[in-house]
Amino acid sequence: MKIKNSILVVLAILMVSSTAMAAQGDKENGKKIYEKRCVWCHSKDGTGNGPAAPFLNPPPRDFTSGMYKFKTTQFDEILPNDENIFRMIADGMPDSSMPGWKDILKEKEMWDLVAFIKTFAGLEGKPKKQIDFSKQVKSSKESIERGKKLFIDRCSECHGEEGRGDGGKKLKDDWEARTWPRNLSKPWSFRVNNDPKEIFARITAGIAGTQMPSFADPASKKKLSDEERWDVANYAASLADASKTIKEGSTVVKAKRVSGSLPEKADDPKWQEAEPTNFYLIPQIIAKERFFTPSNNSIRARAFYNDKEIAILLEWDDRTKSIPGDEKAAEVSLDGQVFEDGAAMQFPVTIPEEMEKPYFGMGDAAKPVNMWYWKSGTKDAPQAVKLLNATGFDKKEERNAAKAGLKAEGVYNKGTWRVVMKRPITTSEKDKDIQFVEGKFIPLAFAVWDGTNSEKGSKHTMTTWYWLFLKPEAGVYVYAMPVIVALLVLGGCILTARNSQKKG
Amino acid sequence: MKISRLLLAVIVIGIFYSFFKIFFGIILKQPIPGSLFTMYMFFIIIGVLLVFSFTEQGAKELMSPIKDLLENPEKMMMRNVVFGIVTIFAGFITYQQVKPSFEAPLELRTIHPAPPSNISAYNKSYNLLTLENPFMKYKKEDPEKFKQLIYEGGEVYFKNCFYCHGDKLDGKGHYAHGFNPLPANFMDVGTIAQLQESYLFWRIATGGPGLPKEAAPWLSSMPVWQNFLSEEEIWKVILFLYDYTGYVPRSWEKH
Repeated sequence: MKIKNSILVVLAILMVSSTAMAAQGDKENGKKIYEKRCVWCHSKDGTGNGPAAPFLNPPPRDFTSGMYKFKTTQFDEILPNDENIFRMIADGMPDSSMPGWKDILKEKEMWDLVAFIKTFAGLEGKPKKQIDFSKQVKSSKESIERGKKLFIDRCSECHGEEGRGDGGKKLKDDWEARTWPRNLSKPWSFRVNNDPKEIFARITAGIAGTQMPSFADPASKKKLSDEERWDVANYAASLADASKTIKEGSTVVKAKRVSGSLPEKADDPKWQEAEPTNFYLIPQIIAKERFFTPSNNSIRARAFYNDKEIAILLEWDDRTKSIPGDEKAAEVSLDGQVFEDGAAMQFPVTIPEEMEKPYFGMGDAAKPVNMWYWKSGTKDAPQAVKLLNATGFDKKEERNAAKAGLKAEGVYNKGTWRVVMKRPITTSEKDKDIQFVEGKFIPLAFAVWDGTNSEKGSKHTMTTWYWLFLKPEAGVYVYAMPVIVALLVLGGCILTARNSQKKG
Repeated sequence: MKISRLLLAVIVIGIFYSFFKIFFGIILKQPIPGSLFTMYMFFIIIGVLLVFSFTEQGAKELMSPIKDLLENPEKMMMRNVVFGIVTIFAGFITYQQVKPSFEAPLELRTIHPAPPSNISAYNKSYNLLTLENPFMKYKKEDPEKFKQLIYEGGEVYFKNCFYCHGDKLDGKGHYAHGFNPLPANFMDVGTIAQLQESYLFWRIATGGPGLPKEAAPWLSSMPVWQNFLSEEEIWKVILFLYDYTGYVPRSWEKH
């Protein structure tokens, strides 16, 4: 009891002192830190036009507006809570360029920054209208079911029917920057996190400066009651898809051996039997033309093979199906221009025996690479796959895909592309095509294009080298050996006991 | 209660085992490699058994619980359980040994390879032994200008480098997670704090493809910056790196 009390006292002191710190945040010291650490993106005058700004989406916050996106005060309350600003500084914002600063700044320093940042818009005083979290509806099957109905009615217009941000609307913030509705199946990409409480706050207050409205605004036709907003929050949180989690250190696509035929279609349920591996996609920022503002952030791969063929399934969430020539696609695109969506895989022509691989950026003169490049097609042309060999960034040679037996087929459904690429294990041109071998680690890299996000040519997202591994079927001996050894040991035990008993 | 000799032997071996684990693994934080550890334990077990069975009487006493378990008709149940456990354990160990492993190969590379004495960049040849930052002189001559140059270096950094090397110069930029090997962490005492400015110039100007073979140039995602930046911009960004981190570049001692 005593311990409990003293913990409470300590907590109370901590709470009082942290609010005190907030109140006393030293603006002058905050300014010093700001000028060393923050000006590069947010600029000296707080407008968010620092030197890095043109290369960032989402753009750095304009502090002079006084608008804060992720706050826990009501929609008609301009002031955020100091804790909201503090949290953004301390923890940063995932899937954006804002890092968390708590590893190098002291708590006091971060409160000083809060105090200084507020001066840009002259924010003063305490916010009065807080979001009321007290009527929380615990997540349950029923609540999620109710939330789903409301979500499809109110939210799917932007966030898509299954929450992958594929509503097909072109959204902009108050500064004319492109904004993308959150893909709710990837909780690691949430700016705060996917705790229902945080989602409830976004639904209730909206996201200031963007087209995400408040659903608590009595003037809105879409207004939801407290309980309904909790239901939607519970549903949104339930959309987190664990099979898209990127596991640290997971670098191998393990192809599963099958005796029969390989799945032909991308939506064949048989793919569920192959183990998925997820990878981060990053923009191509290495060679000319560099690309800085991607819309896609991860890709998942699975593979099957048999005696004759290998089939690899690529799945990635893309909010837009980009069909050049299609009017609707043009409406959603960045500047009216639509290119094809695409995906490519890169392999070395020769599987390296030692550590040395071809240069990850399209190979080098000594070590060429194969590229399998699928494109989504235009209004007039169907989707197609190209076979390219390359010996450097701009040294490509197009080859005959059909002759090598390379095939690809993609399906777009509710914000996800699924593309199967298939090729015989071996080909006739052994010096130009990779010849797949069981039980070897084969370098593999990916690239993805979102044509609605002006991605074309060198402007795309990508990975560096990972691995493909054709998993041989475990030989009988893997199971037989342990049984044999166990039986021998048991026999030995019994024999020893017998002998010992006879002697004794 | 008298502790049986066998139990005592097991306890002694256990003490040796924990000593190695705790002393090297936890206190010194340098765990003994697996294969070496197995060898040490092998000799320790042999040694302990030798000591414990040195006399005829001792050997008998050591073996008596085992003998009892094997022979005593009242311990039949116990015997069956022990045999069962030993059998399953043997099968499990064998399975662990023979099951195929799908761990990706380890790729060892030298992070800071020895620089060549001459490099070529910008269609020129540079002698790394004598190459100096042309802007360093303003540190004394014109501190105001020096400050401005550092700021301009910062602009270069935040337009080109921070996506990977990070806002905090800690190698954790917002796209760093997509790269293998990870971008260099300039705050770490093991990177720019140990290097000369000319080394940085070499690494920046020629990028990943300019690395020698031991540093795995085919893996490094460092762009070839002579394709994007001027010489002056590279020297300015070097000024910025040292200013922001507070480190001082290494230099040849002047006598």
